[in-house]
Amino acid sequence: MNKLNELSITEAAQKLQAGEITAVDLVRACVAEIEREKPVGKCDRLNAYLEVFTDVEEQARLSDERRALSPTKGKESPLLGIPLAIKDNILMEGRKVSAASKILEGYVATYDATVIKKLKAAGAIFLGRTNMDEFALGGSTENSAFGPTRNPHDETRVAGGTSGGSAAAVAAHMALGALGSDTGGSVRNPASFCGVVGLKPTYGAVSRSGLIAAVSSFDQIGPLTKTVADAELLFNTIRGHDPLDSTSVREETYHKRNATKKIAVPKILNASRELFDVEGVGKKFKETGRMLVERGYKFIPDIDLPSLEPALAAYYIINFAEVSSNLARFDGVRYGLSLKGNSLLDDYAKSRGEGFGPEVRRRIMLGTYVLSAGYYDAYYAKAVAAREQLRREYEKAFEDVDVILTPTMPTSAWTIGEKSDPLSMYLADAFTVPANLTGNPAISIPVKRERNELPIGMQLTAAHGDEAALFTVGKDIEVVE
Amino acid sequence: MISREEIDNLAELARLKLGEEEAVALQKDISNILEYVGQVSAVSAGTQGDALKPGLSKASPLALHNVMREDAPRDADDPMAGKREQIIAAFPRHEKEYLVVRKIIQKDE
Repeated sequence: MNKLNELSITEAAQKLQAGEITAVDLVRACVAEIEREKPVGKCDRLNAYLEVFTDVEEQARLSDERRALSPTKGKESPLLGIPLAIKDNILMEGRKVSAASKILEGYVATYDATVIKKLKAAGAIFLGRTNMDEFALGGSTENSAFGPTRNPHDETRVAGGTSGGSAAAVAAHMALGALGSDTGGSVRNPASFCGVVGLKPTYGAVSRSGLIAAVSSFDQIGPLTKTVADAELLFNTIRGHDPLDSTSVREETYHKRNATKKIAVPKILNASRELFDVEGVGKKFKETGRMLVERGYKFIPDIDLPSLEPALAAYYIINFAEVSSNLARFDGVRYGLSLKGNSLLDDYAKSRGEGFGPEVRRRIMLGTYVLSAGYYDAYYAKAVAAREQLRREYEKAFEDVDVILTPTMPTSAWTIGEKSDPLSMYLADAFTVPANLTGNPAISIPVKRERNELPIGMQLTAAHGDEAALFTVGKDIEVVE
Repeated sequence: MISREEIDNLAELARLKLGEEEAVALQKDISNILEYVGQVSAVSAGTQGDALKPGLSKASPLALHNVMREDAPRDADDPMAGKREQIIAAFPRHEKEYLVVRKIIQKDE
């Protein structure tokens, strides 16, 4: 039998239910893996966790008690006793939360995020909080104020980002599943690099109450798991309308669709892109296509989505703009790092200048620029228009097909420190940002690989509210071992 | 390339104290990034208003609309209810239940 921490959530739930194992056993197996070969001053060998909670066994004992008292032995709660890792931008009452930033170091959350409330009700166990790019700005977890997370498949490489800690923790079996957040690919990118499943739900499907905001018109919380079935289970637990998030939608908002078994591939993929790893990612992409054809899917090649061309530029303009306004709340006055300068203005500038890391400062500067009076129409207004055009093109495309297939990332994981120029890092987000611009749900599924190969993920995007299509096609892509 | 004066002005607007080296590096980085994202200038857009009102029916979940809540005291099940003490504990400085802030209006000297 596998070690207990290597089980999927679904497998572990069955064993818990059957009384073969306890939640305490599961938690101990995860903690043993976290602590294996851990360096001094870190939580684990990959720097995936920023904190491992000291009460994990206590949580597990309570969960085992809850099961013992349940007349059905917890049958209706498949997450009862399942140890999860949570990204460090999701609030858990009474626990530290920092968004991997010095400006929030030591800050203690005053309430539970809605997703945490839902997971608590379902009986899940929280192992700890995971590393990320500071304020979810980046693509490799190298922008964490607490050092990069290492890729479990090659520790000289990045885990991806911004939810790199969550992805690495799941891939290295330091948790059975995890939550991340996705602003421009931050769940799907590390899922692709670490070889796990990562879902960005439809915009509004999951409440962001209690998620530290990065780009409010893009942010969604999503699961990182070992299997598509596990992602589905976590998504169904955390989804739902919430009056505390005014952008959250109701289940009936989007009408149910009938599957057509048709998959589209955008034309722009054929355009030669500097970054695209044709030999590695391109080959896997073709193999995935062939496999899906064998499974009875019909491909619509080269669909025209002209607004994909300016999508990345539009994405970054909106990102900078919203980041600069969202992070204005960190002023050193009400909470977080507070430094004293020569004047009130100087207090703000000093607290923010020293509290935020370099990439955050850069984006605040860029956001201030694109929103300033003389440049607003040239940048922000154009970006909003490009976004709207892309959304319409996607809406039209999904009249005919269930999903759009692309690779998740143009390459496999790069080495730590390799991308020192900020723009080169941004360009790696080309395939993931469209779903954030349009609000469509998207998932990254790891494809088959040889032992010596780095993981590569394929991305499926579906119509608004049609996560079901992602799970159906995703299960046909995923390698069942 | 974006000028040093512009960098200093942006930093002041953004309430960020930047080091000398960083300010120099940002001139180059910001110029490169703006050049890249400047490709949106090719987007044929109507006005900003058109983009935000994309001809969707009001019933469309994607149509932008304001979501307001009642101007009423928070319910007991509101996540912030009963959290007064924790919020005060997070203040960088406090006296009793009050947040201590710097004096804004100074005496003329």
